[in-house]
Amino acid sequence: MAEPNAKLLLVDDEQAITERLQPYLTRAGYQVRVSSDGVQALELVETYLPDLIILDVLMPELDGREVLRQLRLNENWTPVIMLTQVGESSERTMALLEGADDYINKPFDSNELAARIKAVLRRANPGQPPLTVAERLRSGDLVVDRVRQRAYLEADEIELSPKAMALLSYMITHPEELLTRERLLDAVWGWDYPVGTRTVDTRIAELRRVLADDPREPSYIQTVTGQGYRFIGEVEKTT
Amino acid sequence: MKMEWWWAAGIGAAALILLGGFYLLVDQGVLANPVLYLRGRMSALVIWGGLLGAVVLAGHLFQITRRNRLHRTRIEDIQAEFRDNRRRFTRRLDHELKNPLTAIRAGLTNITSEPLSEYVEKEVAAVESQALRISSLVADLRKLATLETMQLERTAVNITELLEEVIGVVREQKDLQDKSLTLITPNAPWPLPVVQGDPDLLLLAVHNLIENALKFTLPGDTIEVRATEEGDQVLIEVADTGHGILEQDLDRVWEELYRGSHTHGVTGSGLGLPLVRAIVIKHGGDVSVRSKHEQGSVFSLRLPVRG
Repeated sequence: MAEPNAKLLLVDDEQAITERLQPYLTRAGYQVRVSSDGVQALELVETYLPDLIILDVLMPELDGREVLRQLRLNENWTPVIMLTQVGESSERTMALLEGADDYINKPFDSNELAARIKAVLRRANPGQPPLTVAERLRSGDLVVDRVRQRAYLEADEIELSPKAMALLSYMITHPEELLTRERLLDAVWGWDYPVGTRTVDTRIAELRRVLADDPREPSYIQTVTGQGYRFIGEVEKTT
Repeated sequence: MKMEWWWAAGIGAAALILLGGFYLLVDQGVLANPVLYLRGRMSALVIWGGLLGAVVLAGHLFQITRRNRLHRTRIEDIQAEFRDNRRRFTRRLDHELKNPLTAIRAGLTNITSEPLSEYVEKEVAAVESQALRISSLVADLRKLATLETMQLERTAVNITELLEEVIGVVREQKDLQDKSLTLITPNAPWPLPVVQGDPDLLLLAVHNLIENALKFTLPGDTIEVRATEEGDQVLIEVADTGHGILEQDLDRVWEELYRGSHTHGVTGSGLGLPLVRAIVIKHGGDVSVRSKHEQGSVFSLRLPVRG
């Protein structure tokens, strides 16, 4: 995908936000159109053909969740980044069915949004559903059933704590991406802890132990020194 | 007012007895020798009277307990409504604050993408740090609201290991400034029992208490983290020889955004202790505090061993 010139559609009814983000994203090298409501956004998807949609949830008329639902119902797989929080396990399951490519919660840092856009665009297969809507994913000997929150290694079920399971499920849907501890906390735990980095490290250690993944020669989880982790295994959808 | 069943039963029984009496009066020749007749019938009358009394008394007792129960349910309803209201309020506040905050932070990022004078750069940095402060306040409010509704993900938690870990984290993160921070946990005759809970949340709760103790102590003070088994509970205490809390503040320290009367100048969101309480209550436990001004405080968490 021609990433630098990619077309973004920014959908939010808060003008104060879109007026700040549009110039920022333009400077970052994207073409940016803004829409302030869901109905207009759906029309723009047809005519403007964006490469990625940044979608706020709470909007009058047609809210973000409904816009996304209608898009996916029409088999439109344009990547979507939703501006909301997904922390609790109930929300995580819902998010999986919803079909967004990524989530970022307000208030966010513009640079963080730019990083997410870049990552989603790199990951996206035009016209194909994203990994984030797949129920089962495979990477080598590892299979993750995201709906049942179960994981299998060489067909044997492995035992993981609920948090480690959620962490694995998030990481395998964001392969090759640098996942900072802060981001993992936000996405999997739902908030940042003062003891957060330790919290993430403990669960990563659990995953490595159960997956028998050697940190020095990893096949799944790579440590990015001083920054976070990266899921390096090749990931594909499976049944 | 609706007629209650025991009144209907009582009136029915009384009517039966009256009718029976009238029948006896007329038919059995009671009038001829009433004393003799009544003596013969006394036992039957006592039984009937006793039964009637029992029916009315039982009905009355039933009514009292039902009233009490209704009363209790009503109080629980009011409490639940209050919690719902607060949750809705927090959610709206969160929503109303996060949009302007997103715009403010995006605007600040835009400003700093241009070359700035030293003065503007300094001011922008100051505004940015305040925006981040509000962001973290919003995040804390959201945590509190989420905690009340979320499903706990319970696993077996080794409290001794958890306390060792949290003390390790505090030593890494904070400058203890010659304060002594010690951990006392039992080993004999057996170690602490395992608690069913969310280890991350419990770690956060104890961490907040230690952080709190560090805020209200001076170099040279002592902070003790202690844990013991008490019946079917684990008691965790964080005790310090710090400022202590004024008596009038003692009941309020667990309230959201409450700052004690002598806490000015100490940084904090006012949400650290409410978060501790919310976490412990979510685990089916409870919190308490005792303190003497100028001598120090003890914050206690009680966690049920069987969640």
